[in-house]
Amino acid sequence: MADEMKNTLEIKGLTIQYVTGDEVVHAVTGVNITIPVGKTLGLVGETGAGKTTTALSILNLVPDPPGKIISGEIFLEGEDVLKMNDKRLREIRGNMVAMVFQDPMTSLNPIKTVGEQIAEGIKIHRKVDDKASLEQAKSMLELVGIPGGRAGEYPHQFSGGMKQRVVIAIALACSPDLLIADEPTTALDVTIQAQVLKLINELREQSRMSMLMITHDLGIVAEVCDTVAIMYAGRIVEYGTLEDIFDHLRHPYTKGLFDSLPDIGNRRAELKPIRGLIPDPVNLPPGCAFHPRCDYAKPECSQQLPAIKRISDMHYVQCHLYADTDMSML
Amino acid sequence: MIEYIIRRLIALIPIILVLTLVVFSILHMTPGDATVIILGSEYTEELGAALRKELGLDQPMLVQYAKYVFKLLQGDFGMSYVTRAPVMDQLSVRLVNTFWIVICAMVLCVSLGIPIGILAATRPNSVFSQSMMVVSLMGVSMPIFWLGLLLILLFSVYLGWLPSSGMDQGFLSLILPAVTLGFNYMANIMRTTRSSMLEAIRQDYIRTARAKGVTEHAVIYDHALGNALMPTITIIGLNVGMLLGGVVLTETVFSIPGTGRLLVEAINQRDTPCVLGALVVMAFCVAISNLIVDLIYAYIDPRVRAQYRR
Repeated sequence: MADEMKNTLEIKGLTIQYVTGDEVVHAVTGVNITIPVGKTLGLVGETGAGKTTTALSILNLVPDPPGKIISGEIFLEGEDVLKMNDKRLREIRGNMVAMVFQDPMTSLNPIKTVGEQIAEGIKIHRKVDDKASLEQAKSMLELVGIPGGRAGEYPHQFSGGMKQRVVIAIALACSPDLLIADEPTTALDVTIQAQVLKLINELREQSRMSMLMITHDLGIVAEVCDTVAIMYAGRIVEYGTLEDIFDHLRHPYTKGLFDSLPDIGNRRAELKPIRGLIPDPVNLPPGCAFHPRCDYAKPECSQQLPAIKRISDMHYVQCHLYADTDMSML
Repeated sequence: MIEYIIRRLIALIPIILVLTLVVFSILHMTPGDATVIILGSEYTEELGAALRKELGLDQPMLVQYAKYVFKLLQGDFGMSYVTRAPVMDQLSVRLVNTFWIVICAMVLCVSLGIPIGILAATRPNSVFSQSMMVVSLMGVSMPIFWLGLLLILLFSVYLGWLPSSGMDQGFLSLILPAVTLGFNYMANIMRTTRSSMLEAIRQDYIRTARAKGVTEHAVIYDHALGNALMPTITIIGLNVGMLLGGVVLTETVFSIPGTGRLLVEAINQRDTPCVLGALVVMAFCVAISNLIVDLIYAYIDPRVRAQYRR
C-alpha cells in the first residue's frame, strides 16, 4: 500500500446506517476505497447500492437524522473527515473536496443568479470581495463553455445540460483536490452526456485533480476511470484496475452487469438482465447479499459472508467461488 | 410592471360591481325596513312613505342600484339613511381605528410568526419549538371572541394593565385588540413558515450550498429562507381578508368604533349605503393586499418576475 500522503482519499471500513423508527437500513457496510493523487475511481452499482451515501460521507454531509456513520475512517489527504469540527469541515467543503450532484434541475437555488452561486464558494474560500469573486465566477462559466455575460441569469433560464455545466463550475470554482461526480450525466440526454464527460475529463487533466466517479454506466467507467469498485447492497464486491474489471472480472455480479449491456455486434442475442431485484436494505439476505440472484450460488453463500480474496495487489473480490482458487470461475 | 399593476387595478372595477350588486340584492331581500328603524316609535304609514320617497326607497331595486353605482363610480359613497351624513365622512373616521388595529396585528404576527416558524423548523426537537407548536394549534382553533374575552378578563379585570374597551388610551388600547385579532393569523404564519422551511431545507440546492462550505446560518437565512417565504407570503396576503373579517368581531368585543362595528350597526339598521361603503373599502383593501403579495413574489422569485415581463 502506498503511503497515506500520496492518496487524496482513503476510506477504511466505512459503515453507514439509516435508522428510522425501529428499522435499520444498511446503506454502506465495511467499504474501503483508495484514490491516489490524480487518479479516478469509478464507483459502480445499481440504484440503492449505497454509492451516493458513500460520496456524501466524504463531505460529512450524510443527512443526520436518519443517517448515522457507525464506524470507519475517511482520510482526505491524511486528515480524518469524520473527526473534523464544523469549522474545519466548512473549510474543506468546496475547497479540498467538491461534489457534482446527480440532478442539475434541482441542485441550483432557483432564486439566485448562477454567477452568485459560483462566486459564493470562491468568496468563502479565497477570501475575496463580491466583485472579485463574481469576476472569477464569470471565468469559471467560460471554462465550462458558457459565456461569462450570462452570470447574471437565473437557473430557469438555462437548459439541463447548461445547468449541469453550472453545477460543475460551482464544484471546480476553488480547484478542489478531489472531485466527487455523482452520476453527473444521468439526467442529461446522450449528446449532452458526451459533452459533459469530455469537459470533466479535460478539466481534470488540466488540474491533476483526483476524482470519484459514481455511475451505473460502464461506458463512462471505461472512458474516465483508472480503478473501479463494484458496489452491491452497501458492500464493495469487486475492486480492481480498469483492466482487471473489464478483462479479468471475477465476481458473478460484475459479470451480470456486463451481460446486461446490449451487444451491437449481435443484435439477435437477447439481453441478459440480472434476475431478481436489488434486496431490501432493511432486510438483507444472510451470507452474501447477492446469492438469491446469483447463478453460481453454492450452499455456503446463503450462510456465511465470503472473505475478501486478493487476486493481485490491486484486484480483490468478495465471493465464495474464490475460497481456494485465483482462477476465474465464471 | 407598471402596466401589470394598472391592469390589476382596472380588473378591480368588475369585482367591486359584482360585490355591490350581491350585497345590494341581499339587503333588499332581507326583511325589515330602514324607515321603520329610523322612525322607531314615531312610525306611521304616512311618515314612512314620505321617508321612503325621500331616501329613494320607493323606486325599483335596479333603479336604486343603478343610481348608487353611478355615484360610486364618481367616488361618491352616498348618504347614510340613518345619520343623513355622507358615508365617506363616517368611514374615514372609523377606518383610522381599524387601520391601526390591523396594522398592529400584522406587524406583531409577521415579526413573531416568521422567526418562530424558522426556529421551529431548524430546531424541531427543542422545548421551545414544541411549545410554540402547541401555542399555534391553540391559535388556529380558538375563536376570536372567546380569546378576546379571556384576554380582557386577565389583563383588564384581574391585572388592570390594559384598557378593556375603546380607543382613548392610544397605543395601550391597541394591544389587546391586535393580539386578539392576530393570534389566529400568527399561528397560520408560524405553521406555514415552519412547514415550508422544513420543505426547503430538504431540497438539493441546500445540499449544494452545504457542499460549498456555506455556514449553517447562511444556508438557512440566505439559501432556504427566500424559497421558503413564498407560501408564507401567500398566507400573509390571503389572510388579510380573514383579518378584516376578524375586525368585525374584535371591534365588537372591545367596543372600538371602527369599520367592522360600523358594518354591524349599519346592517342592523338596514343602512344600505353604509354597509356597501364599508364593504367596498374592505374589498379594496383585500384586493390591494393581494396585489402587493404578487409584487413581493416577483421581487423574490426571478421565475415569477420573468412572467410579468412577457
